[in-house]
Amino acid sequence: MKRARAVVVIVAIAVVATTIAACGGSGGGGSEITVWDYYGSASPIKPAVEAFRKKYPEIKVNYQAIDYETIQDKFSVAVSSEAAPDVATLDMTWIPTYASQGLLANLSQLSGGKLNGKPIEGQYSKGALEAMSYNGDYVTMLSDFDAYALYYRADKFKEKGIAVPKNWEQFRQAASELAEIGSNGKPEKYAFQVLPDTFHFDQFLLQNKGSILDPEWNKAALDSPAGEGALEFFKGFLEDGSGILWGKDQGDSTGLPGIKDERIGMFLNGPYMMGVLKDGVPEQAGDWKIAPAPVGLQEGSYLGGTGLTIPVNAPDQKDAWTFVQFLLEERQQLDVYTDAGAAPATEAALASPALNKPDPFFGGERPFGIFRQALKTATPYPYVKSWTQIDRAVEDGVTSALLGENSAESALSNTAGRIDELLAQESE
Amino acid sequence: MLGSLSGSRLRRTAAGYALITPAMAVAIAFLFIPIALSAYWSMTEYNGLTPPHWVGFHNYTYLLSEPQFTKAVKNTVIFVALGMTVGPALGLATALLLNEKVPWRGVFRTAYFLPVTASLVVVSVVWKLLLNEDGVVNAFIELFGIPGQAWLANSNTALPSVIVASIWQGLGFETVVFLAALQSIPAHLYDASKVDGAGSWARFRHVTLPGLRPTILFVFVIGIIGSFQVFDQVFVMTGGGPNEATRTIVFDLVERFRNLELGQASAVAYLLLLLLAALSLVQFWIDRRSRR
Amino acid sequence: MNASNGRRALIFAALCAGSLLMIGPFVWAIGTSLKIPAEVFASPPQFIPRPFTLEGYKDVFTVLPFPRYLLNSIIVSVSIVALNVVFGTAAAYAFAKLHFPGRNFLFGALLVTLMVPFQVNLIPLYRIMVELHKISPVIGVDTYFGLIAPSAVQVFGIFLMRQYISTIPDSILESARLDGASEMRILRTIIFPLARPAVATLAIFTFVTAWNDFLWPLIITNSESMRTLPVGLAMLSRKNSVNWTDTMAGTVLTILPMLLVFAVLQRRFIEGLTAGAVKGSG
Repeated sequence: MKRARAVVVIVAIAVVATTIAACGGSGGGGSEITVWDYYGSASPIKPAVEAFRKKYPEIKVNYQAIDYETIQDKFSVAVSSEAAPDVATLDMTWIPTYASQGLLANLSQLSGGKLNGKPIEGQYSKGALEAMSYNGDYVTMLSDFDAYALYYRADKFKEKGIAVPKNWEQFRQAASELAEIGSNGKPEKYAFQVLPDTFHFDQFLLQNKGSILDPEWNKAALDSPAGEGALEFFKGFLEDGSGILWGKDQGDSTGLPGIKDERIGMFLNGPYMMGVLKDGVPEQAGDWKIAPAPVGLQEGSYLGGTGLTIPVNAPDQKDAWTFVQFLLEERQQLDVYTDAGAAPATEAALASPALNKPDPFFGGERPFGIFRQALKTATPYPYVKSWTQIDRAVEDGVTSALLGENSAESALSNTAGRIDELLAQESE
Repeated sequence: MLGSLSGSRLRRTAAGYALITPAMAVAIAFLFIPIALSAYWSMTEYNGLTPPHWVGFHNYTYLLSEPQFTKAVKNTVIFVALGMTVGPALGLATALLLNEKVPWRGVFRTAYFLPVTASLVVVSVVWKLLLNEDGVVNAFIELFGIPGQAWLANSNTALPSVIVASIWQGLGFETVVFLAALQSIPAHLYDASKVDGAGSWARFRHVTLPGLRPTILFVFVIGIIGSFQVFDQVFVMTGGGPNEATRTIVFDLVERFRNLELGQASAVAYLLLLLLAALSLVQFWIDRRSRR
Repeated sequence: MNASNGRRALIFAALCAGSLLMIGPFVWAIGTSLKIPAEVFASPPQFIPRPFTLEGYKDVFTVLPFPRYLLNSIIVSVSIVALNVVFGTAAAYAFAKLHFPGRNFLFGALLVTLMVPFQVNLIPLYRIMVELHKISPVIGVDTYFGLIAPSAVQVFGIFLMRQYISTIPDSILESARLDGASEMRILRTIIFPLARPAVATLAIFTFVTAWNDFLWPLIITNSESMRTLPVGLAMLSRKNSVNWTDTMAGTVLTILPMLLVFAVLQRRFIEGLTAGAVKGSG
C-alpha cells in the first residue's frame, strides 16, 4: 500500500517536473532561428550569437551545440521529419550526400548571388567556390577550410642538416634522415605520421595526377597507375621505417599524443593543426615550422572544411541567410581562427593583417600564406550521393594496403569494385 | 447463482481490459503506430521529403540481392553464432563454479555482474581504449613476445574484437540466470543419482542439464533476439569497418537512414523480424521435441 | 577431504582470474581517468597514474553542465521506472491471471515488437513527437515527455512480470475474490507484495536501460538543458580527437550511480530474475 502510494508520488513529481522544465523552452513572438553547431567548446559561432543579437535584435537565435560524431544522425532525422534547424554546420565530406538528395537550400537563389552585399564569386577562392556548388548552384558557404601543408620539426631538421623537401624524392629522403629507428626496427622518434585516411591518400593521388572518381563521377578511377604509384609512395614511409602508422583506432587523428612524446616529427595536415599544436604542446613552441607540401607531378590537396548550410525545409530561410552572412563577415571569420584555431574561408579574412603577422610559435614565419597557397590548387570531393560510403571504402582500402594485408594493386582494385557497386546503386 | 458467476466473469473481463489499457495505450502510440508506419514505408521509395512512392516488395528483393546487405547478414550471423555459443557456455561454466561452496561468492557474483550494469556505449568506449594499438592489451601480449595488433583496424580481427567485448558485457547476465537456475534444482535429485553411483559427468548430463532446460531456452531466445540487433558496439568501436568487416544488420539499417533511404531501411527491419520470428519458432520446436 | 580442498582452491583461483578479467577494464578506465592525457598510452602501461590528476573530472564539471545532466538522467530514469512498475505490473497481472477475449493475441503482439529493432522506429517516433510538440510545447521534441513516454512501457518487463505472477497460486486470488476484493485491490494488496522480487528486477532492469539509453535521448533532445548523461558526455568528443582522460572521467561518473543502485537491490534483482527465467519459461 505504502509502496503504491510512493510510486504515485514519484509519478506526480515527474509530471510536475516535466511541465515546469518544458515551460522554460517556449519563446514568445518575433522570428526565431535554430542554429546547430558542431564546433564544440572552442566554437566561433557561440560568441557570434551575442554580437548578432545586438545587430539584429528582431531575430532571436536559438543556439544548440551538437556533437560532431552524431550531428549527421540528428540532421537526417530532423530534416526528414519537417523539424529541421535553420542553420547547421556540416563537414564538407558529408555535403555531397545531402546535396544530391536535395536536402540543402539553394543558396544562389536565396542570396541573389550576393554575400554581404558583394558578389559571392569575389569572396572565395576558385577551389572553394567549386566545393560550395552543386549542379551550378551554391548549397553551402564555407566557414573554415582545410587543405594540407607540411608541418615539420624545424629544430631537428636544422640539427641533422636536412633541407626542407620540395618534391617527393626529397620528401622520402628527408623522412628517412629525420626518423630515429629503435632496436625493434620501428621508428622511435621524429617519424612521419602516416594517416590511413582518404584525405591523406587523396593528397598523394591528386599530386600524382590521379583522382578517386573519373571526371563524370560515374566510375572509380583510383585503380590506375597513378593510384598505385601514389599508394606505393605513401606506403614507402612504412617500408623504410621512416613513418609511423597512426590508425583510426588511436581515436585521435591529430596525432597529438605522438607529437607530445616526439614520436612524430613531421606530418601533412590542415591549418586547424596550428591551434591543436599551440594548445597541446606549448613546450614545443618555436620547434615547428610549416612548408608547402612537397610536390609530386603537380601541386594538389583535398579541399574540405566546415560548410554553413540551410536545410531545404528550414522554417525561416531568410533570417537563416542573414545569420550565415553575419558569420561570414570579416570580424566573425577572424574568430574562426582565434576561437577554433581553424582557417577562415573567405578571402577577405585570409588577407587580413591579423592572420598574416609573424607567428612566434612557428619560428616567426607567416604560415597562413602557405595554406592560402595550398587552397588555390586544392580539389573538393565529388558530389555523389554515396560519398560518405565511398570515403570509407577508400579509407578501408588504403588501410589494408598500409597494414600489408593487401598489395597496393589489389587493394585499389577491390576499392574500385566497391565504389562502382555504390555508384551503380545510385543510378538505379 | 449462474447469474452472479457470469457477472463476476464479466467484471474480471472488464478489469482485464482496464489493467492493460495504460500499457496498451503507450504501446499503440509509441510502438504499434511507428511499426505500422515503417511497415508501410518498407513498401515505398521514400526520403522523408518527397511523398512516398509505392514500390511493393522491390526493397526486399533489392536488399536480398545487394552485397552490402548480405555481408551485413553474414557478419551478424557470425556474431550471433559465436556470441551465443561461447557466451552461454562461459556463463554456465562460471555459474557451475559459483555454485560450489567457495568463499567470497557474493563478491564474485557482483564482479561478474558489473559489466551488465554499464551501457554498451560505455563498454565499447572502454574496450576501444584497451584495444588501441598502443593500448594495454597489446602491451600485455607483447610481454609474451606476441606482436601487437591493430585490433579494430584489421579486417580479420575487428569482428572477433567486437564479439569478445560483447561476450564480456553479457557474461554476468548469463551467469546470474544460470546460477539461479542451478540453485533451484532440488538437492534430492543429486542425492538420488549419487546413490545410483553416477559420476559427476553423468550427474551433470542427467540431472543438471534437464533441470536447466527452461533457463537455457530463455537465455537463447532472449539472447538471440538481442544479439541479432547488435548495433551500439559496432557504432562506437569500428563504425562498421574496416572493409565492412563489422557491418551488421542494424548498422546497415541505420546507415540507410542516415542516407535517407527510409524505404530500404524499413525493409531491413522487417527482414530481420522475419528471420527472428522463424528462429524463435525453431527454438520452441526443438525444445518441445527434445522434451518428449 | 584434502582432494576436495584442492578442488575448492582450484575453483577459487579460477573465479579470481575470471573476476580480474571482468573488473580489469573498469580499473583501467578509472586509472585512465586519473592520468594526464600524455600518459594514457605510455609504454610500458602505467597501472598507477603518475602524475595523479583530477583534471579529467574537473573538465567534466567545467566544460559541461554536469549536475544538470545528472538531474535530467535521474528525472527521466526514475519516471520511467515508476511508470513501468505501475503500468507493467498491472498489464502483467491481467495477462497472467485474468481471462478476457484477445488476451493471447495482444500479449503475442507485444512480444513480436521485441523482434523489431528500435532503430527502425526512430523516424516514425520522432515524427509523432514533432506533431505532439505542435499541440503543446511541454510534450514532444526536446521535452521530458519526449524522453520518457516511449519508454513508459517496456515489453520485456511485462514479459518478466507475467512469468513471475503466473507462479502465484490461483487459490490465493480466488479466496480474496470470495472476500469481495476487486481486481484493483488484489493487484495492490496481493500481487504487488508477493511479486516484490520481480518488481525489483523490473525496476533495476528498466533503470539500467533508461540510464544507459543513448540513441533516443540523442535524437529527441536539442537544447543543452534537456540532455541526459550519456548524451551530454558525448559532447566531450571533438572533431578530430578523443580526450581519453575526460571521456573516462565521464564514463566513471556515469557508471557510479548505476553501481549504487545495483549494490542496494542486487539480492532482490537476482531473486526476481530467477523467478522470471527459471520457473516461468517452462
